[in-house]
Amino acid sequence: MSILDQRKLIASIHPFELLSSNTLDNLMQKIDIAYYPKETLLISKNLPSIAFYIVIKGSVAEFIDAELHNVYSSGDSFDADALIYNKSQSRFVVDEDLICYEIKKNDFLDLMQNKEVQSYFLQDFITRHQHLKNYHAQSELTPFLISKVSDMFLHKACIVDKNETIYNAVVKMKELKTSVVIVKKESGNFVVTDTDLRDKVVLGNMQTSAPIDTIASSRMISIESHDFLFNALLLMTQNAIKRLIVMEDNQILGVLEQLDLLSYFANHSYLVAVQIDKAKNIEDLKNIQSDFKNLILTLSSKGVKVRYITKMVATLNTKIYKKVFDMCVDKTLQNQCVLVVMGSEGREEQTLKTDQDNALIIKDGVDVSLFYEPMMQLNRSLLEIGFPVCSGQVMVSNPFWRKEVKEYKLLIDDWVTTLNEQNLQNLSISLDAKYVAGDKSLLEELSTYLYQSFHNRDDVLAHIAKGVLSFETPLSLFSSFVLEKSHDNKLDLKKGGIFALVHGVRTLSLQYAIRETNTINRIKELNNKGVIDKNFATELIESFDTLSTIRLHAMLESKNSDNYINPKNLQKIEMDLLKDSFKVINKFKKFMSFHFHLEMVR
Amino acid sequence: MFSFFKNLQRNYSLSKLKNENFKFLFEPNTSDEYVVFDTETTGLNPKEDDILSIGAVKIKNNKILTSETFEVFIKNTQKISSKSIEIHQIRPCDLENAKEMQEAIESFLYFIGSRPLVGYYLEFDVSMINKYLIPMLGIKLPNKMIEVSELYYDKEIAFIPQGNIDLRFDTILKKYNLPNMGAHNSVNDAVMTGMIFLKLTQGK
Repeated sequence: MSILDQRKLIASIHPFELLSSNTLDNLMQKIDIAYYPKETLLISKNLPSIAFYIVIKGSVAEFIDAELHNVYSSGDSFDADALIYNKSQSRFVVDEDLICYEIKKNDFLDLMQNKEVQSYFLQDFITRHQHLKNYHAQSELTPFLISKVSDMFLHKACIVDKNETIYNAVVKMKELKTSVVIVKKESGNFVVTDTDLRDKVVLGNMQTSAPIDTIASSRMISIESHDFLFNALLLMTQNAIKRLIVMEDNQILGVLEQLDLLSYFANHSYLVAVQIDKAKNIEDLKNIQSDFKNLILTLSSKGVKVRYITKMVATLNTKIYKKVFDMCVDKTLQNQCVLVVMGSEGREEQTLKTDQDNALIIKDGVDVSLFYEPMMQLNRSLLEIGFPVCSGQVMVSNPFWRKEVKEYKLLIDDWVTTLNEQNLQNLSISLDAKYVAGDKSLLEELSTYLYQSFHNRDDVLAHIAKGVLSFETPLSLFSSFVLEKSHDNKLDLKKGGIFALVHGVRTLSLQYAIRETNTINRIKELNNKGVIDKNFATELIESFDTLSTIRLHAMLESKNSDNYINPKNLQKIEMDLLKDSFKVINKFKKFMSFHFHLEMVR
Repeated sequence: MFSFFKNLQRNYSLSKLKNENFKFLFEPNTSDEYVVFDTETTGLNPKEDDILSIGAVKIKNNKILTSETFEVFIKNTQKISSKSIEIHQIRPCDLENAKEMQEAIESFLYFIGSRPLVGYYLEFDVSMINKYLIPMLGIKLPNKMIEVSELYYDKEIAFIPQGNIDLRFDTILKKYNLPNMGAHNSVNDAVMTGMIFLKLTQGK
């Protein structure tokens, strides 16, 4: 029945699903469908709103002053505020022939009697944002039920023949760094653990030249690699055992430890960290990198906020960097320099692999050429592990980013006096420098010098801040008519929003000598110093989180790591969150213009 | 001249009206409203087939008054062919709360009044109604008729004078970027037809 179809449609639009079946039935009898041709003015300061509109087809643009503020398309609704407060600062103009449902003003106000609907429409931006986010999180599937044994980190299997001596078996076990020995017998696979060795060999006074068979008493249970993880957990619980042999095509693939299984759900990152610590060469580290994506996927589907995911990825990346640094740089040289990461890695905001952005700061008076070979090797190793080279050559392999403290100071002096495009870029990237390995005090010395150089140089800071305005916020991209202008019908999240926010916050941090490199931490510090108020700070953090989340989801789906997303592929809720975030970005741009008097800077 | 004939025809028709209660059908329309309507039938032959349901919705200015929809299911003696069930998805069991034909037609007449009728291949729906109306009241529907496919044709032929205009319902919806509301039933079809009508009359 048609009334039912329309009812379904209305009920699918948040927050109308909150209405009771009865209320919805009543509402359906009051809804009309209206048609407005392009350019019809629906609401303005002088034209009070007569109805609540739900777009069926077409789009409506909202302008504040002359500026495009929002675009409403299929499934969107507007404008509760105009009805509740009986006035509006915005102009709502039909952008593409509009067919919409209309709930007449009085009927809408009646609806507001419903507490949940009321709170939805009356909430301010932040709470509404979180409300929508929670709603989104509920719809994610719990990964516990769908994870497979093959998703897990498996320990190598140390397999020996039953006639092997105990001594040889233990040597092999040590070589492979395993905690158990698997003994192959005709009747199946048996296990020898540390406990067996202690109790039966050491305390039982057995000769290490005896065959291992004599102490292998407990049979191992196996599971197929494509089986579900909860089945593995069940097997362990039922049989009171701590490990399973994982089979694939009748071959032993590895050993699944109970500890790993349990921590998989509690803290999957622990495993990756363990692997990095255990790595003996670049090859090992390379294998670990492939786990990263799974880790990110798991955490993201568990609903972990992107800012925590990126923080963790940054921690793990730092671990890898440290390990590579240890492998490449001679012990005697390690304290003569400091390795730093910069850019998104320095801000702890990279998720999937981004370019190598790194630099080496060498103690004054130490021979720079000593570091040539180690740094080239470091650069190659990182590339091999899977950190792509930086297109701007911001890497330790480039002598520009591998020099003494005093040379860097000269560079900073140059930045303060001449801010050309290249200098500006180098400065921005250096501001995000984060310690990785070596002598930390060298970095601190340089940072202090950097912040002092820019102290009270608001003229220079304004030039730096100008970058915030270099790209338009792509809010208008949602309406169909601008799509052809854009890149492949897509939208650049980085240019459109993330860059402005990151760069603006970075500039403010330079002005107020905030040493944090992470954008969210910087925003919090700016709030602590009273530069921005609590409410605005929260808005900025939420928006940054939203943009990063949508970018991550897009990257995970498209399997490439550019910053483009197609807004049409977004879910309705993501779309709303994105629009809200862009509004905050616009607000931030205005704040920056005012703060640095940007309209006066040429 | 034309309106003279129209008047003549109407007066003639009025004189045939068997039931004084329905005189309102002949009064001038003062409501500036239209009614879009659609019927679902057991088949496509007005002589043999029956009406299963009538759906209608009023249009005023630029609005489809979905708050004032009309929908009625009609009891039927004929067996519903399985082919037509596929189209309109009215199963015999859906007709359990249906009304008798006479009652359904009368309530439809009260709903439309003397408003102009709008439809897609209206001729078919009107002749289906007339099939019952003539024995009931001695008249055919006297309302002004507006055929949207004709409006569409007039508009399109202006752009491509020698062209073949595809008048299929789905084509028109697509051409005008109108939402297809899916399931075929009389009210849905009436609402979609209403959208085409608004697009053709209100659009720029």
